[in-house]
Amino acid sequence: MELEEMKSLWGEMSGKIDQQKKLTDSLIIKMTRSDYKNKIMKIFIPELIGALVCFGAALYILFSLQKLDEWYLVVCGIVSVLILFLLPILSFNATNKIRSLNILANNYKQSLLEYSKGKRQFIFVQKLSFYLGAVLLLTVLPVTGQLIAGKDLFIESRLWIWYAIGYLFFYGFSKWVFRKYAKATVEAEEILKELENG
Amino acid sequence: MQNKNEFVRAIQENEALIYKVSRVYSNSREDEQDLYQEIVYQLWKSFGSFRHESRLSTWMYRIALNTAISNLNKEKRKGTFLPLNEWALNRPDSTDLLREEKYELLYAHIRQLSTVEKGIILLYLEGKSYEEMAAITGFTTTNIGTRLGRIKQKLITQIKK
Repeated sequence: MELEEMKSLWGEMSGKIDQQKKLTDSLIIKMTRSDYKNKIMKIFIPELIGALVCFGAALYILFSLQKLDEWYLVVCGIVSVLILFLLPILSFNATNKIRSLNILANNYKQSLLEYSKGKRQFIFVQKLSFYLGAVLLLTVLPVTGQLIAGKDLFIESRLWIWYAIGYLFFYGFSKWVFRKYAKATVEAEEILKELENG
Repeated sequence: MQNKNEFVRAIQENEALIYKVSRVYSNSREDEQDLYQEIVYQLWKSFGSFRHESRLSTWMYRIALNTAISNLNKEKRKGTFLPLNEWALNRPDSTDLLREEKYELLYAHIRQLSTVEKGIILLYLEGKSYEEMAAITGFTTTNIGTRLGRIKQKLITQIKK
C-alpha cells in the first residue's frame, strides 16, 4: 500500500463516516457533563487517601517522639516523619505535571515535549519514592515496635528477620515495577529524541 | 444555550475527525470510546475560548491531538464512560468485509508509527496543506516535508514485512 493509495482509502472511509452522523444531540450533551468529574475524582481519591495515611502516620510519630527513649529510635522516628511527609508531596507534584498539559494553548509539538519531559520526571520521582520507601521500611519498624508494643525491637527481637522478609518482598516488587518504568522511560526518551532531531 | 447548540452542531459536523483521532491513538474499542468522550469533553471546556481566528476544524484537530497525548499516560478507567449500547462508535457501516479489513489494516499501519509521526500522517491523510499542518503541530513546513518523507519510507518497509 503506497502513501497515495492510503490517502485514497482514507478518503473513502472518511466519506462513509461522514454520511453516518451517529451522534445525537443528547449524547453530545451527556459527554460534556458529570461523568468526567467522577472520572477525575477516581484518579484523585486513591492519591488523596494515600497522602492522608502518610500525613497521619507522620503526625502520630512526630507527636510521640518523646516516647522514643533511645537516640537511635529518635533518629529512626525523625527519618520516618521526613519520608512520610515527602512521599505524597513528591508524588503529587510529578503526577500533576503530566496532568496539567495545556490542551487549549499548546500545539502538538509543545504537548509532546511537555508530556515526555513530565513523564521522565514522573518516572524519576517514582523511582526515588521507591528507594525512600525502602529506607522507610528500615526506620519505621523499630519506631512502631516501640510506640505500639512498647518494645525496643533492636534489643528484644530478631529485627533482621523482619528486615529480611520485608526486603525480599521489596526486591521482587521493585523488579516488577522497574521493568514497567524502563519501557515508559524508553518511550518518553524516544519522543524527545525524535523532536530534537527534527 | 446558544453556545451549547453551536457546540452540538460543531461536533456533529466534525464527528468523523474525533473518531479518526481516537482510533489512531487507541489500541482497543474501550480506549477508543474513552478517548472519544474525553476529546468531546475537552472541546466543550475550550469551546468558549474559540475566537474564530482559525478554521473550526483546525482548532478541533489541535485540541483532539493534544487530548490524545494527554491521554497516553492515563490508566484504563473501566466503567467511567458512557455504556457502549448507548452510542455506537461511528465505525463505517459496511457489509463489505474486504473493505473493512483494508480500513483496519490502514489503521494498523498508522498505529505502528511513533507518537510524533501518527499526528503528522493523520493530518496528511486528512488532506491538510503543509501550512495547516504546521499551524496545528508547531513544526515548520520544511520539517513536515522531511518527516513525511521519512514516514513514507517507514510505511513502505512496514508494508513489505
